[in-house]
Amino acid sequence: MNNKSSDMENLYAQRLKRYVTAMRNGKPDKIPIRPFVAEFTAKYAGFTCQEVTHDYEKAFLAARRCAADFDWDAVVGNMVYVWTGLTEAIGLKYYAVPGIDISDQTGFQYREPPEEQAFMKPDEYDELIKDPTAFLFNIWLPRVSKYVSAKGEPTSYHNNLSFLKGGMAMLSYFNSFGTQNELLRKESGTVSAISGIFKAPLDILADKLRGYLGLLTDLAERPKKVMAACEALMPHLEFVALSGADPQKNVPIGYWMHRGCVPFVNMEHFNNFYWPTVKPIIEQIWSKGHQVLFYAEGNWDAHLKSFAQLPDRSIVYHVDQGDIFRVKKEIGHKFCISGGVPNYLLSYGTADEVRQCCKKIIDEVALDGGYIMDASAIIQNDASIENMKVMTEFTREYGVY
Amino acid sequence: MDEPKNHIPIKPGVCFPWEEKLRELNEIKGDKEIIKKVWEDADSLGYIYIWHCLLSF
Repeated sequence: MNNKSSDMENLYAQRLKRYVTAMRNGKPDKIPIRPFVAEFTAKYAGFTCQEVTHDYEKAFLAARRCAADFDWDAVVGNMVYVWTGLTEAIGLKYYAVPGIDISDQTGFQYREPPEEQAFMKPDEYDELIKDPTAFLFNIWLPRVSKYVSAKGEPTSYHNNLSFLKGGMAMLSYFNSFGTQNELLRKESGTVSAISGIFKAPLDILADKLRGYLGLLTDLAERPKKVMAACEALMPHLEFVALSGADPQKNVPIGYWMHRGCVPFVNMEHFNNFYWPTVKPIIEQIWSKGHQVLFYAEGNWDAHLKSFAQLPDRSIVYHVDQGDIFRVKKEIGHKFCISGGVPNYLLSYGTADEVRQCCKKIIDEVALDGGYIMDASAIIQNDASIENMKVMTEFTREYGVY
Repeated sequence: MDEPKNHIPIKPGVCFPWEEKLRELNEIKGDKEIIKKVWEDADSLGYIYIWHCLLSF
């Protein structure tokens, strides 16, 4: 091992220790910095949104360039994540693809169909409940893909290619994360921030099956079916989460929280549907030694008491538009907290405003450790490069224990 | 290959259970466990494909 690679290994070890210590709600040497930089990486590296979304090697390169130039402890190998080359190969209809459907300078968009065109019909719950995997292949996929034939329809060249190209492309993409993580480690001593994916059963019903409006109708008109569907999805979502988890049990499984909170649903729905079908999975995952990163998109403050029921250190709680100071008071004694720097500030604020915000968070939230510096939501190409430098440099200077 | 006949219960990680596949095969002349393991490993790729279509993409 030459001097450079030895230095990088030492840096990686320091950063991993810092990051993991904070995530276990401990006090590291410094506050770890783990920004979830998505299309920001394109802006910094001189690529368009189309380039990083459609060509994942460029996305990887842009992420590594940021990791090399900013003093960040951990990043996601590709936070843009949705590789639209793959979604086009499968023929998925629900993405607006940069450079095809929208400007090459705009990040990809998810387009939820109108309620009457939902990918799952209200009378199809029993089929989903009976065998979710078969339902996805036989009913759901032909509806979300413009290429896949429905059951009973003649097959086609497009249909056959969708599975072949989609399967091989997905395998290729997932495998390439291994190389990307190694390069992050060797080139800049940067830790890969998360491993694996989890979503809540109720969110999955809303996001990809019934649509948000359809789900609200179902919660009122067929609540038992909704609950049974959530219960049927649970073992599969747990399995997928664990199948992608970090074998070393250092970094957490990412849990992307969408519309299961008040006011998207009411408190009764959260208490009776959402939480009872999430909590047992988190407990099960923790019993196997893996943390889960609650990426609480939007504002989940109404549910902090529920989250506090989870075992100490079982989760890392990321704050988007919630009140980070309230979060600290209510669950900071149990869990590490991350985020809280508003994205609008990183885009439109002055350098001094960014410093003041970071200082307040460090003083009030990070005092005894258990905090990771990050923006509120994923950082896209509206963020100012200068303000990202300010957030990084101020945290490095002021965030020393 | 038709769909598996006994849909319930199909475990997570499985699209087409080994027990169903076994019914398709005539007498197995070699090591049944090798065939079972490789079938299940390949089958799990199909499972990962569809669930990641739902969750990740």
